[in-house]
Amino acid sequence: MVDQLPNLGREEEMLVEMGVESIDALFADVPESVRMVADLPLPDAQSEEELLADAKRLLGANLALGDQPSFLGAGLYRNFVPSSVFQLVTRGEFLTSYTPYQPEVSQGMLQAMWEFQSLVSELIEMPITNLSLYDGSTAAAEALTCAVRVHNRKAEQKDTVYISELTPPDRVSVIHNYCQGAGIEIKTLRHDENGCINLNDAERARGSCAVYVEQPNPIGIVDDGYPSLKEIIGDNTALIVGIQPISLGLLEAPGNYGADIVIGEGQPLGSPITGGGPIYGIFGCTKPYLRLMPGRIVGRSIDVDGKEAYCLTLSTREQHIRRHRATSNICTNETLIALMGAMHMSLLGPEGLEHLAIRNMAACTQLERQIKTIESISLPYEQQSHFNEFFVELTATTSSCLSFLESQGVVGGVDVSDWYPEKTNQMLLTVTDQTCQKDIDRLVQSLSMWVEEVKA
Amino acid sequence: MSRLFDHYGAEGKGYSQPAPLISASELKLPSNMARKQLPRWPRLSEPEMVRHYTWLSKRNFGIDTGFYPLGSCTMKHNPRVNEVVAQLPGIADIHPHQPEHQLQGLLSIYYEMQEMLAICAGMDAVTLQPVAGAQGEFTAIRCFQEYFRHRGEHHRTKVIVPDSAHGTNPASAAMAGFEIIEIPSQEDGRIDLSALRAVVGDDTAGMMITNPNTLGLFEQNIAEASEIVHNVGGLMYYDGANFNAILGRTSPGLMGFDAVHYNLHKTFSQPHGGGGPGSGPIGVKEHLAPFLPSPIVARREPSSDEKPRAVDAYWYTWHEPEHTIGKIQQWHGNAGAILRCWAYYRRYGKELRTMSEHAVLNANYLRHAIHREAKAAGVDHLFVDGADTVVAKHEFTLSLGPAKEALGISAMDVAKGLLDMGYMAPTVYFPLVVPECMMIEPTETESKETLDTFARDFCKVLQLDAETLHNAPTTTPVRRVDEVYAARNLCLRHPFDDE
Repeated sequence: MVDQLPNLGREEEMLVEMGVESIDALFADVPESVRMVADLPLPDAQSEEELLADAKRLLGANLALGDQPSFLGAGLYRNFVPSSVFQLVTRGEFLTSYTPYQPEVSQGMLQAMWEFQSLVSELIEMPITNLSLYDGSTAAAEALTCAVRVHNRKAEQKDTVYISELTPPDRVSVIHNYCQGAGIEIKTLRHDENGCINLNDAERARGSCAVYVEQPNPIGIVDDGYPSLKEIIGDNTALIVGIQPISLGLLEAPGNYGADIVIGEGQPLGSPITGGGPIYGIFGCTKPYLRLMPGRIVGRSIDVDGKEAYCLTLSTREQHIRRHRATSNICTNETLIALMGAMHMSLLGPEGLEHLAIRNMAACTQLERQIKTIESISLPYEQQSHFNEFFVELTATTSSCLSFLESQGVVGGVDVSDWYPEKTNQMLLTVTDQTCQKDIDRLVQSLSMWVEEVKA
Repeated sequence: MSRLFDHYGAEGKGYSQPAPLISASELKLPSNMARKQLPRWPRLSEPEMVRHYTWLSKRNFGIDTGFYPLGSCTMKHNPRVNEVVAQLPGIADIHPHQPEHQLQGLLSIYYEMQEMLAICAGMDAVTLQPVAGAQGEFTAIRCFQEYFRHRGEHHRTKVIVPDSAHGTNPASAAMAGFEIIEIPSQEDGRIDLSALRAVVGDDTAGMMITNPNTLGLFEQNIAEASEIVHNVGGLMYYDGANFNAILGRTSPGLMGFDAVHYNLHKTFSQPHGGGGPGSGPIGVKEHLAPFLPSPIVARREPSSDEKPRAVDAYWYTWHEPEHTIGKIQQWHGNAGAILRCWAYYRRYGKELRTMSEHAVLNANYLRHAIHREAKAAGVDHLFVDGADTVVAKHEFTLSLGPAKEALGISAMDVAKGLLDMGYMAPTVYFPLVVPECMMIEPTETESKETLDTFARDFCKVLQLDAETLHNAPTTTPVRRVDEVYAARNLCLRHPFDDE
């Protein structure tokens, strides 16, 4: 503490100068009835060294995924982040700045965010992108409420949106919390046995405000039915597509198959998983949504000398001006993490992104091939193309499988019985560009052993 | 000028990576889903990329650059050890889907933070899930809503906010579906109890208020306000944006609040990163605890097979509150930000109160020093205090109304003049109740010398002639930016030649 407060020990000098009696006198306006009398029942202050030792000890009790082969994903992915990203993002001028309310001395971050918008716009093929929302789940939720604001007047199914039935329950819960205040009803769209969206069922969404699907979908399938969706649901229903940004090095950008709003979890580009935050949400849209969209936007402008300059723009949508009529309550966003994303994209370049996508998909295909060689473990959606992840059907409960894998030094996939209670024997296995052949071999070997054990 | 999109290296190059595990030609992709044209991204080698972002950083002002007295934003120094802690593999490289026994360290830190925050605010239960202050507000209001639904009180549809409240308050409550009742403040900026009495009733769900208020004044009638709202069956919500002014001296619990959000990045420390990330946990009293988002962390005695990864005598588990509103963010909040704030808290421990005392000491000292220097320089007639008060809390307001009237110098002019002196400008034109308002918050991490020098420089700016100030700034990377031009000629991304 001593090293953080420059005026420690100089209180008297300052109080005398002000003609104030004591520190207590500075709090004389706090009525006696609400004063805290006792000291806070908290431990003693620590030095930096003591803190660091404790941090290492406590965080050392977590299992860091770099220490073992791991196959967890379901929305967050272990991807390599280049060293220069960490070096640059911790420059104090970026790290310790606030929202750029004074553009003249905030040109660095403003330009970087305008460039971020440009990079993401190209990636998803949307003309407009904001400079981040909290994460993929809140971006999906905000996209749905935005679509209702835009389409509800003309909608035949008022206050109604449709989301894929595969959307993971935790994400649905976020969507529900954001939508319920506006009285929005959330209906689900069915998928076929093959894991792809049922296009006949999607007809039901016509006349509603929005349809939300993900590509690749939550079980890793690259769904080739989406290009038909826009025509099925019609012009007055927003098609919202959630993306994994790295996949767009191989997969068509949603803007090219009719998406009106594109959202995504930005984390795989530029950020470690960090236990699930801070990460950043991507939000892009077409022109009809511009004035009713959430989040901050940077525009390119000029200064009084006509020189190129950047500033926040279209702020009249936001809470600090529009208050309860704002398009969202968001104020603090995830600018710094979006900056990491921009840095990563800058280094990758178009071909680097494509290569990265290929590596992610290649690891996935390779794991699928090898899993198939294990007798009695099946792949329910074997016929489909997968990116990053896929379901496997096991011969006993997923929880027993995960325990066995852990005993073999492998962190298995996600137990999807947490999502769909009837699927007790299914696991979502995820690989990324950080998965090497040795990891795959180890998993396949351990799974084979487990299958044998279950048989016995 | 360095522009990202001016870099066009050779095609086909790109960031070097290992070969894929199998060749691209073996990958099976539906033909209608194969990307036809890659994004038209620039191509930079590492040296070009490093130089571009370093160039950008030099055109940005942070706390590390200089004094940042941005009122309401609490721009204090960010201890560097926190960055080291947040990059340890035990936090950077963990996945929220890992089982509890692989995350005992994280869970124990979450538990410690929940306990500490509850103690500091006088609350009974805490969730760390909301990722920003505004999301914390929304979360708490959702808890209010479910609490009333659970009790069958569906008629409580209104949330009261003072007109001086942060914009996020009404925006968050409206997002949850409440009708907003705005009540005017008294002339001195404080809450008007008679206005409050006039609007409360059967339909009141709650009131949202910050204390000290946005003028830096402690609301002395806060206990009465709580009583008025509670008497009609409503709930009180504490906007924790200014909690850094009172920590250890009073608490929202003592003032009668039912719920509070903490701006961890302001009260504690998480670098603001040009606009985020933040972290906005909420604390609630017992009657609201069953409605908190899921999960929160609980602890118990470990069983014999749970010992290996234990961090202390307890075993930590995720716990789902009985009537939870569910998820507000898909994972466990901004774990990295929570870690930084935990590291910050550990450096203060039970002496957190000293942090608040110094925040208030510095604000009052700076207010005094500005008046002292203004008098000496003969410019004290150009501004008045934004509020009549003997002591301010962590921030204070000045009205440049007299300068505007006498010389045509606005608060914005003075702000731009300060930029030329090498400072970040204070918050201007907020709160709206003060004409030509400047809101100044020095924080506890500025030395007396910095405050004295700023006070002198502030007066130097006031001595500049109007024309010089209208033209300011002149020493910054760009001069006044045309925001109207930006809005009329929307250019939100790099325009390619063919567009």
